[in-house]
Amino acid sequence: MSTMAETTPDDPSLLVICVDSNPSQGILRRNPDALNSIINCVTAFGNAHLMHKPQNKLAVLSCHHNGSKFLYPSPEKSLEIRQMDGQYEFFTFVEKSIKFNLSELIKNAPKIVNNVESMLAGCLAMALCYIVRVKKAQPIGTNLISRILVVTGSEDSAHQYMTYMNVFFTAQKERVVLDICTLDNTLVLLQQGCDITGGHYLKVPQLDGLLQYLLWIFLPEPSIRSKLALPPAVKVDYRAACFCHRELIDIGFVCSVCLSIFCKFSPICTTCSTVFKVPVPIKPKKKKIKT
Amino acid sequence: MAEDDEIKEYRWETGYEKTWEEIQEDDAGLIASSIHDIIQKAKRKRQEAKKKGSRLGMMRHIYIILDCSDAMSMPDLKPTRFINAVRMLQLFVEEFFDQNPISQLGIILLKNKRAEKVADLAGNYKNHIKIFQNLTKASLTGEPSIQNGLDLALQTLKMIPAHASREVLMVLGSLTTCDPGDIEETIQSLKQENVRCSVISLSAETRIMRHLTLETSGIYSAILDETHFKDQLFQHIEPLQATNSQECSLIKMGFPHGVVQDASSKKDQSMMSLCMCHLESNSDKRNLSIIGYFCPQCQAKYCELPVECVVCGLTLVLAPHLARSYHHLFPILNFIEVPNQHQSTHCFACQKQFQESDKHLYKCPKCEKHYCNDCDMFIHDTLHTCIGCSSVPQRPQMNHYDNNRIFKNVIL
Ligand SMILES: [Zn+2]
Ligand SMILES: [Zn+2]
Ligand SMILES: [Zn+2]
Ligand SMILES: [Zn+2]
Ligand SMILES: [Zn+2]
Repeated sequence: MSTMAETTPDDPSLLVICVDSNPSQGILRRNPDALNSIINCVTAFGNAHLMHKPQNKLAVLSCHHNGSKFLYPSPEKSLEIRQMDGQYEFFTFVEKSIKFNLSELIKNAPKIVNNVESMLAGCLAMALCYIVRVKKAQPIGTNLISRILVVTGSEDSAHQYMTYMNVFFTAQKERVVLDICTLDNTLVLLQQGCDITGGHYLKVPQLDGLLQYLLWIFLPEPSIRSKLALPPAVKVDYRAACFCHRELIDIGFVCSVCLSIFCKFSPICTTCSTVFKVPVPIKPKKKKIKT
Repeated sequence: MAEDDEIKEYRWETGYEKTWEEIQEDDAGLIASSIHDIIQKAKRKRQEAKKKGSRLGMMRHIYIILDCSDAMSMPDLKPTRFINAVRMLQLFVEEFFDQNPISQLGIILLKNKRAEKVADLAGNYKNHIKIFQNLTKASLTGEPSIQNGLDLALQTLKMIPAHASREVLMVLGSLTTCDPGDIEETIQSLKQENVRCSVISLSAETRIMRHLTLETSGIYSAILDETHFKDQLFQHIEPLQATNSQECSLIKMGFPHGVVQDASSKKDQSMMSLCMCHLESNSDKRNLSIIGYFCPQCQAKYCELPVECVVCGLTLVLAPHLARSYHHLFPILNFIEVPNQHQSTHCFACQKQFQESDKHLYKCPKCEKHYCNDCDMFIHDTLHTCIGCSSVPQRPQMNHYDNNRIFKNVIL
């Protein structure tokens, strides 16, 4: 669905990883230690991306139950930036920064009483703003390739439908590829986002192999993925669900004012209360062909 | 009926009317930055004018009428008025369909006292872009006939069902027109048929064009420079407030599911076939494939949506096409400009550190987070989502859209 800009192998590539750290996720409720191994995998994966090309860039965001925050690079210069001689030191710096900022985030977050859903769509929106800023700061002529990888164990959220859609369309417009790595649930909504932006969707069969999956599936840049033998894209169902019964429909009626979808004609729109003109001149009777 | 609107429209326009008086040299003796200011100010004003929950004309039918007379060969826009306008219109068309996914657009050219329709109203922008691309080599001759152009547009727009908007957007370089009859008659019939006519003049303001836009509740603008041109053109991307005469109706639509090439699929499903959209093009461009969207009513195949089925007339869309428009109906609040008193160290969205040079910050009245100017614009123009409101759970947990109720039902 999306068009890829022409890219050269020398173009820098910005990877933004959004990690869900919300303790309400099923996997973390079952095993609180899982967060540690997820973060380790994500950090190793981020460093692998940096190692791939010297001009590559990385950002890591955490989506916590009380909001989203950058783990790397740190927005506040709370971490002392020392002179770094070698690449190796740089990688440890990335790792330290991620772990320090995450522990600060967890320490300062209020205790949760009930389970709270992760505001992942907002986290993605924040990542997009960051990408747009980094893009703008590039010297003229540089083509920054950018993508977002989501690592989450959360469920689909109907509340965030609008935000998700806005994020997907914006990502498509800004040519940002959206990759999804889900650890627990099937995410129908995010699957649509992958399809719209040309990214990959993967449900990890078991958490143990997470790093392997990340490196195999998500490390290659989108432009060369077509040449690799990756698992086939999941078939995405884009049929509409009517607002009245939540049923999947092939043919429906759409309100010309608010674009709500209904499965049958009704004289008033239940969403925007518009009264519709009843179709008076009934068109020449056609026999309905049942299929 | 629309009298009240007309006056408002006019007053709303006054920001531009005497734009030349507003142009002043800045400290460095440049005028560019003051034009930038005018545009920024106007953008904010437009943003503020958006009302929540207002009725919009989501299904738009618009004809672009482009002047191809010799007045367009002037080099005051680089490289010429015409080439500049054509490039700008390409961007416009792309953006228009991004924001108005179920609308239709057509193109009419004016040259040698004639009007020529080069693209019928259609919903697939790729063809329009191609037309514009080929247009850059077109010869610019004679005088335009504005009346002929308007009449030609009216002919088709008259037939559009009443729940859709009828619009004309004219880009003019010429100050004169060579008409076969009384243009006033044309203006009156446009008014009668509720065709909204807007004009962008690349040269100067003319009385008759202002009269046309006033009569038909359109927007009139004479441009200052290229950036201003873009700004004036792109304001037409926003869907319009629905007029009273526009009927509301339920429109029957089809939601085809895509058939994706899949090795495991059964033989009968994976029959090679032609799509209807490329049937008329050269045989080498025809798209013989398994993949496509099938009309649920008549089984005609298309490779791209949205489209109006040529066989049975059903409008075919994907659910996300509709979702693309929901933000117009539930726009996010405008941010408040506040002086930078170091309330925040960095922009809540892009993480940029605020500098002394950032004179103003922009605050969301709902979540009270602070943003930089760039993010404010990006959030309102493109993203349509406030970062704070959508990423920080609110006390009674998240209700960031008043109309949340309906969207809960959209996904399964
Ligand atoms: Zn229903
Ligand atoms: Zn409605
Ligand atoms: Zn059909
Ligand atoms: Zn910002
Ligand atoms: Zn907000």
